[in-house]
Amino acid sequence: MIHILGVATTEFGELWKKSPRALAKQAAEGALEDAGLKISDIDALFVGNMLAGILGNQANLGSLFAEELGLSVPAIRVEGACASGGLALHSGVNGILSGQYKTVLALGVEKMTDSGQDEVTTGLMAAGSDSERMAGATFPGIYALMAQAYLEEFGISEETLAGVSVKNHYHGSLNDKAQFRRVVTVEDVMSSGRIADPLKLLDCSPISDGASAVVISSENLRKRKPVYVSASEVATDTLALHDRKSFTSLSSVVRASKNAYKKAGISPSDVDVSEIHDCFSIAEAIAVEDLGFSKRGEGAKDIATGKMTLGKGKVITNPSGGLKACGHPVGATGIKQIVEITQQLRGEAGGRQVKRAKIGLTHNVGGSGAVAVIHILKN
Amino acid sequence: MITTPVKLWRRQKEVARHLGREGKIISWTIIRVPPKAFLNETPYPVVIVKMENGEKMIGQLVDWQDEDLAVGRKVVAVLRRLFSGDSESIIAYYIKFRPI
Repeated sequence: MIHILGVATTEFGELWKKSPRALAKQAAEGALEDAGLKISDIDALFVGNMLAGILGNQANLGSLFAEELGLSVPAIRVEGACASGGLALHSGVNGILSGQYKTVLALGVEKMTDSGQDEVTTGLMAAGSDSERMAGATFPGIYALMAQAYLEEFGISEETLAGVSVKNHYHGSLNDKAQFRRVVTVEDVMSSGRIADPLKLLDCSPISDGASAVVISSENLRKRKPVYVSASEVATDTLALHDRKSFTSLSSVVRASKNAYKKAGISPSDVDVSEIHDCFSIAEAIAVEDLGFSKRGEGAKDIATGKMTLGKGKVITNPSGGLKACGHPVGATGIKQIVEITQQLRGEAGGRQVKRAKIGLTHNVGGSGAVAVIHILKN
Repeated sequence: MITTPVKLWRRQKEVARHLGREGKIISWTIIRVPPKAFLNETPYPVVIVKMENGEKMIGQLVDWQDEDLAVGRKVVAVLRRLFSGDSESIIAYYIKFRPI
């Protein structure tokens, strides 16, 4: 049994005054305080990060953050592009299940806004294939290729797809940790600048700084009722989008979520609340279909018509605002999703609380679907 | 982008294998915010092409008009300069696609 004892996240955004060390420390200390534990209770540290080596010329992150936190226990950096955070938690869970560790700190941290947009765009392409880099593709571009195929295959309009960002900005407006706390309209999305047709600026998650941390343990060291990790599943696929059979479904997500539902003994309709990897609007439309929340081809429509909006829907997606509005410090995102779902299952999510939430799911994706990490949490 | 002489040399066989082959566009986009190496080429279309032998490839579309950006449009693989780097860099050539 894996117990989530403590969670915390920093504010996400352009945090120029804070170094990666400061962000990590703030998140880790927050999670320990929430757990009622001391740093000496931690047996191992797993760090999720993608870009420190590329943008900051900094490797050896396990030791770096262990030093910052005053730890000298095993400390391991885990990388899987934008799924680095989810993979860090997965590694921590396995470390406990193996019997090697009792209590683990999983930390996701990313510092992106120190660098220029073209450097970040280039750096993120490290998650793609050589063929995609040679084509001059970008991640907005690769998801745009998925969006083009999706809109064509299912006869969906760009306006309908824009509903994803409208929902997530509304949710983000209720989250004091979110990078964007303002609502946007379909017209705002449609009139925002084109990044990679058909995707516009407001279809895309931002460049962000931030850190999030989770303390998990084999024992319930927390006096309050804990939240449990019922499943932690990972699946992989080809690095490049064009090497796959379908551009409108991510096989890695389908496989990882099927395994997760089986392990947790639930079906998609049992999920009350979920955090979805909406790096682009199209990603959430496809995800809700791959996860079994929507029928094939109906994800964008279901979201646009309010079926996943707080106070309206049956399964609420991205109450935090998602990557779009809460922000996307890539290595931190997978851990932030766990923080949000834990707070939801504890009933501590304030103005964005999903009523009577008992089962939550996180969907963390690296690259254009080359790796998917699914966690199922229960209270 | 990292284009060392050795890496470019290794790719030559791959390039030769594809030159002159034809296929059809199965998805497309226009990149308007590029990676650093392609700043001078922006905006440019990137397409996924299904080749006649069933293989799928990703690449830039060159010599294009608006009406060429459509699923089903026939294209041929041509050799083009990859991007215009500074005058000191290696001049890299690779496959791009041209409408036919």
